[in-house]
Amino acid sequence: MVKVLRWVCEKCNKKWIHPVKKCIYCNDEIKKQIGRKTKVIGVSKVNIPSLLHPITPYHVLILEDEHGNKMPKKTINEYNIGDVYEDTPDTSESAIAVVKIKYDYDEAVSEAIELIGGLDIDENKKILIKPNLSIPGYSYLGMTTNPRVLDSLIKLLLDNGVKKENITLAEQSFFVPMEKAASKTGLNHLVEKYGINFIDISKTEFVEKVVREFKLNISKIVDDFDLLINVPVIKTDMVLGMDGAFENLTRFLKKEDFEELAKDPMKAVGALAVLPSVFPKFITIGDGSIGEQGNGPAMYGRPGFFDLITAARNPVVHDKAVQEILCLRKLPYVELAGKVGAGVYDISKIKIIGNELDALRREIDQPIGSKLIKK
Amino acid sequence: MSIDPMPKRYVKGVGMTKFSMDIARDTVDMCHDVVYDALNDANTSMNDIDAAVVSTVDVKVTGERQRHYPPILTSLLKKKIPIIRVPAVCGGGGAAFWSALRLKYDNVLALAVDKVVGGPTTLITHEIMTASDNLWEQEEGLIFPTINALVAQQHMLKYGTTHDDLALISYKNHEHGSLNPKAHFYKKKVPLEKIKSAPVISSPFTLFDCSISVNGAAAAIISSDKTDVEVAGSGLATDYLAPFERDDITVWNAGVKSGKKAFEQAGITPQDINVMELHDAFSIVELIAYEDLGFCKKGDAKELVRNGYFNLDGKIPVNTSGGLKARGHPISPTGMAQVVEVVDQLRNKCGDRQVSNPKYGLTHNIGGAGGTTSVNIFKKI
Repeated sequence: MVKVLRWVCEKCNKKWIHPVKKCIYCNDEIKKQIGRKTKVIGVSKVNIPSLLHPITPYHVLILEDEHGNKMPKKTINEYNIGDVYEDTPDTSESAIAVVKIKYDYDEAVSEAIELIGGLDIDENKKILIKPNLSIPGYSYLGMTTNPRVLDSLIKLLLDNGVKKENITLAEQSFFVPMEKAASKTGLNHLVEKYGINFIDISKTEFVEKVVREFKLNISKIVDDFDLLINVPVIKTDMVLGMDGAFENLTRFLKKEDFEELAKDPMKAVGALAVLPSVFPKFITIGDGSIGEQGNGPAMYGRPGFFDLITAARNPVVHDKAVQEILCLRKLPYVELAGKVGAGVYDISKIKIIGNELDALRREIDQPIGSKLIKK
Repeated sequence: MSIDPMPKRYVKGVGMTKFSMDIARDTVDMCHDVVYDALNDANTSMNDIDAAVVSTVDVKVTGERQRHYPPILTSLLKKKIPIIRVPAVCGGGGAAFWSALRLKYDNVLALAVDKVVGGPTTLITHEIMTASDNLWEQEEGLIFPTINALVAQQHMLKYGTTHDDLALISYKNHEHGSLNPKAHFYKKKVPLEKIKSAPVISSPFTLFDCSISVNGAAAAIISSDKTDVEVAGSGLATDYLAPFERDDITVWNAGVKSGKKAFEQAGITPQDINVMELHDAFSIVELIAYEDLGFCKKGDAKELVRNGYFNLDGKIPVNTSGGLKARGHPISPTGMAQVVEVVDQLRNKCGDRQVSNPKYGLTHNIGGAGGTTSVNIFKKI
């Protein structure tokens, strides 16, 4: 499943490892060449830790594909020269795909989705995409879902036959007028570019759903679609530890409910832990392309540049795996969700595909945080 | 193909600090020292300098990050002349020298300085790794020892080169470095058995396949006035940043091209060279340079190494300074320190490590894993 990427001018036979569009020698169009059958032609076992690669030993392989193109690949597992290297997709609820972006967002997003077995979509399916675009911040700050990730996802849906009128982006802002956030985050541009729909959730009808001790008013639109794709930006949160798959769903709540929870972090943790259960089945595509570290989730954090795209069918699995990858101390809502059986919480039972956990781990700047997220 | 516009140029004077782990010295302090030494060596003063080219990598981890270096030099040298900065990571010194040769001033100061040592190893390793491709290499754990270890492995598979061959290169350079008062390993010999039994850093590389990070500075004064050392040839070329993008990982084309250019300009062949400073950031890099510069056919360098061809008492002594391996590798100053060593050799000023009456000397400096390479040929007048 690993992809070796090249951009090729078929006329003059030049190849690039970066996504270029036109040949600067013959003006010809550039075609993308994707190698999928890779074998190991080189292996080095590394014993020296560095900032991005603190866990040793690890191995770096040189992989060669069917076109003779090569790429390096970090792995914890041992390989020999001549071995075939491949990732096997896993459709289970306990799986998460973690893909490193190699300049090409389209390939990273599609690879992550392929690794969890793809999407059940066709031209008649209605798709609801929930990004995190509720703060009026430019995407380079890492506080909001990167529009490049959304662009790739929308293209993938369209390429797979989904009609543009069946694709809807939905968001609401509890902090500023939605128009302001929509402009800065790039949401407006995407809607205009692809002719897809946008729903301001605050203007929808809400229905009360009771789960455990919580009465939560949820936007009715969540039941109007065949598939919900949750696309949070991966960022730190000084209260909750991290904003990921769970927190991104809170914008389906009525504003008054959200504000009530915001007053009481303990209550928020409890509500967050059960929140996914009021939704139909959904998948999460995590945007770790830039992301945020430090004292997020807003202006007191700083960009993380994680260069990752994730995909998972279960939010507990998603957020727990991301917590482990970024070495975040504690995510109380995920821990609680795991305890109430919302998904696999034991990291040893979570299947990480595309890369191994110890090959991905890196310690980012922690949120200073509340008592809730300190061990 | 355009003509390389290098005018006739000579080296008037050189200077360098001891390469060491002395963290007490700042870059400005080291710069001032080597400029003073080079001016004295040239028997001139700052009054005669018309322009300067400086190379530095702007190291963050030692608290020395000062990106706009030319005006810092203006302040330090007390002369408001054209000064440009030419960064090319480990190849910075060579690139600065190559650039300075092409400036049409009478006297140009070429200078390189870096303070690399002074932070945790994990951060320094990361800092050095930023000279590779961000997403293809850095994210995949390709620290520089690993990039070069994988190159070595391909060379071993293709040509039968062994790790013992690479150990001989390290041993040679440590022997030479032990004779150089400016080398980090001065008077510190390292036995061959210790080199062979060293811990694995990134397989197949062990500790002594890797050069040592140090702090330092070096300078040269290039002049249109005839001196006793002429720059007879000079080439610089670039290649794809990541070795995996190249057709053959074991051929570093920037070295092939820059070497060819320098030999063409000098009007000589590799067999005319009497002493060389080659870029041995890693043992395999020196071995590949023998082949890429034309001292033997591809794959045959191991035989020359085994026969001691490049030892101090061999046919063409290589890295008499100790090289990056034993003199030390402070990033940008390395290429300039190579110039200092070869000029000193041509002037018979190298004491215990002096080569017998050399006429031609060569320097070979690389940035990254073959990304930028400069080759200079010097002639004793």
